Amino acid sequence: MAIPLVYLVRRALDSESQTLATVVMRRKTLEIFVTTLTLTTLVVALATIIGVAMAWTLHNVALPFPNLSRALVILPIAIPSYVFTFCWISLFPELQGFWAAVFILVLSTTPFVILAALSALRRVDWSQHEVAQTLGLNTFATFFQVTLPQIRNSVTAGSLLVALYVLSDFGAVSLLGVDTFTRAISNLYRGSFDRSTAAVLALILVAISGIIISIESRTRSHSKNFRSSSRIINNPQLIRNFKSRAIASVVTLVYVLLGLAFPLTLLIIRFFSNAAVIDYSNLLRAALSTIIASLLGAFVALLLALPVGILVQQGSSLARFADKGVLVVHALPGIVMGLALVAFGSEFGWLYQTLGLLAFAYALLFMAKSVGAVRTSLSRVPQNLVDISATLGQTRSQTFRRIVLPLAAPGILSGTLLVFLAAMKELPATLMLHPTGFETLATEMWTYTSIFRFSEAAPYALALVLVAAIPTFLINRPDLVNRSDKYVSGEGDLS
Amino acid sequence: MTSLEIRDLGVKFESRQILSKLNLTIEAGAFAAILGPSGCGKTTLLRTIAGLITPSEGTIRFGKQLVSVSSLVLPPHKRNIGYVPQEGGLFPHLNVAENVGFALGKKISRDERQSIIESMLTLVGLSGFEKRLPQELSGGQQTRIALARALAMKPAMVLLDEPFAALDQALRAGISEEVVALLKSTNTTTVMVTHDREDALVSADVIALMRSGSVVQSGTPAEVYLKPISADVAESTGDVVTIPAVQSNEGRYFSILHHSEGLPQDGLKGELLVRPEEIRISANSTASRVTATISRINYYGHDALLELEFAGMAKLIRARVAGPMNFEVGQTVFVEHQGPIRWVSGNATRE
Repeated sequence: MAIPLVYLVRRALDSESQTLATVVMRRKTLEIFVTTLTLTTLVVALATIIGVAMAWTLHNVALPFPNLSRALVILPIAIPSYVFTFCWISLFPELQGFWAAVFILVLSTTPFVILAALSALRRVDWSQHEVAQTLGLNTFATFFQVTLPQIRNSVTAGSLLVALYVLSDFGAVSLLGVDTFTRAISNLYRGSFDRSTAAVLALILVAISGIIISIESRTRSHSKNFRSSSRIINNPQLIRNFKSRAIASVVTLVYVLLGLAFPLTLLIIRFFSNAAVIDYSNLLRAALSTIIASLLGAFVALLLALPVGILVQQGSSLARFADKGVLVVHALPGIVMGLALVAFGSEFGWLYQTLGLLAFAYALLFMAKSVGAVRTSLSRVPQNLVDISATLGQTRSQTFRRIVLPLAAPGILSGTLLVFLAAMKELPATLMLHPTGFETLATEMWTYTSIFRFSEAAPYALALVLVAAIPTFLINRPDLVNRSDKYVSGEGDLS
Repeated sequence: MTSLEIRDLGVKFESRQILSKLNLTIEAGAFAAILGPSGCGKTTLLRTIAGLITPSEGTIRFGKQLVSVSSLVLPPHKRNIGYVPQEGGLFPHLNVAENVGFALGKKISRDERQSIIESMLTLVGLSGFEKRLPQELSGGQQTRIALARALAMKPAMVLLDEPFAALDQALRAGISEEVVALLKSTNTTTVMVTHDREDALVSADVIALMRSGSVVQSGTPAEVYLKPISADVAESTGDVVTIPAVQSNEGRYFSILHHSEGLPQDGLKGELLVRPEEIRISANSTASRVTATISRINYYGHDALLELEFAGMAKLIRARVAGPMNFEVGQTVFVEHQGPIRWVSGNATRE
């Protein structure tokens, strides 16, 4: 985990202190800093407001086809931001700049907040809502005074993911020409091979991520859990009046149209308009490569996350430190991870451009999702079941194997699926680390998009969205993946 | 089955002393109830016996085996104890058969395992429930399956933590009776924690009364009910009335129940502990010439509690009458105490 950070520090120290100061203090760096921070703040604010509102609507209003609606609003998570951008600019080539990036990134990241808020809303005791209403609070006041304080932690965790996503996003800002840290780092590296300056900028980015993680961590520790009864009623009386249902349906529909239907339709049209010349064998090979590399990455992430998650749950302070470190690494742009592992791999020749190193990069980049899932799932296994198992003659390891692991497994699986999904969408590190001849859907798509051959890129983009839709669908269906939800109250969390 | 002997047990959580100098002996095969109010340390005691909490001092013996002394504690998985927590604590990812067979291990054959599971389910009256998941069972069924799981490993002792607390009042009596009969039929030493005095009085061979982390009295249900060592202990096993009284220099007791003329000025002042059912009420004059006026009637169906107002005493005294109600508020009745004299002076009682 320390590899990329050590690499960055070493590279930064390669340059003289004078040069370092110049890089940090120059006007351009300040502009990049302001742009990155403004973009992140705006996207986080908008995605949080829209995400919480959507989640509340899905949880409380009797929408037509509720399960389908829930699945559809989450599915944009399967579409990488660069595919979104590709779709919009292939239709509106003039779409460029800061506000276009805000629009695209809000569409891409809102599902993170929806997932987190929905998961938290399912755990809120509905009887508290009813009591609040009998005490004279209307629906809005009840939401702000009773519900929101209880879902705040989960929503903040979702917002943190949005912030880290925006900070490390490369595809959307590159295609839209917005100078954020990731784009600047990439340009420096590709344009002049100035790795020292790139490393300095990457370290500033790491510092920003660290500050954001620490702010989130502080708000979390200052908030309280509210549970006045051991039994909760979590099936609300759905709002059924026509006006509310109509407004909720229109809002959901608009979001699904913009975030899912539009890019998907465009990709399908492009696909069929170009069907005759598609190299299906290459498409299939790229899809298989994507699945293999991402699966391997998710597996390595799980192997690394299990001990960290278990030790954090047991209160180890070293593991807690590692947990924070995992989050900081999560915020690293893929290109920085790529650079670090290229340097690392080149020191061990046999590692360079191997599938193993690519999987390792995915694991490092997205381990935070896996550690979070392990930690949350383990913490939700009731202690009394562990105690009972001990009194029934089971040792600690037997209890872990027979009780803790089966109950936590669905949540851990959800986390692993999140890593799998993120790895499939990852672009910059994949571009740098993929073995020669081992093309993934993301690299193939990028190759064509970067030379403006949008029609040829479309099949790869469509295939990527379709493949990524499978884990997304499973993550959003706790009844399929998280069968333990009903007895350990709560599905795999994003936090 | 095994006996249980606890000596000078102490449990501390950080600076809070939860159990202190606790002593308790339970004979092998006995059904013991630990009775006490919420927060007195009952569950902590049960979890300490199970080995889930390490005591700070004292010893625990199962028969002749020392299972806990100082910080040397036999881990729970080596104690051969069946622990049934509130609401059963069934493993939600396992079906009924898997739950019941959980502790059987791999040393026995598949057929043997099956046969034990079947016999346990028959014992608790839930044959045919093998494939059901815990969440498909009612509260009472969950408690019985938890008991079957505990008994399947042939435990030396069964520990029940408020096993009937989550059940509806209607179900409670029936299930409690079944479970107790079952445990007594298997002759298993049982320790049940409860805050319900009826559960304890009906089920147990021995009742241990707990207050503030210690056992303050133990004995058969009749002993703790009829000979409580303090007013506080008397209240934990049933309704009790305290009546101001005076013990004369000759050793005679005077109270409003015995002498309508009032209390003598000389003698030792104290109180008498009287159970409401020991106060006899009659509409007609009997041997007693003490009278009182009924100020309130609480009717329970099978009996009623009357609040009696005595001339010259502000305190109201409750008396229990059984059978059909022949009294009304405002009526003057004759009152007679027919029970042992329990004298309370300071904090202790004497008969």
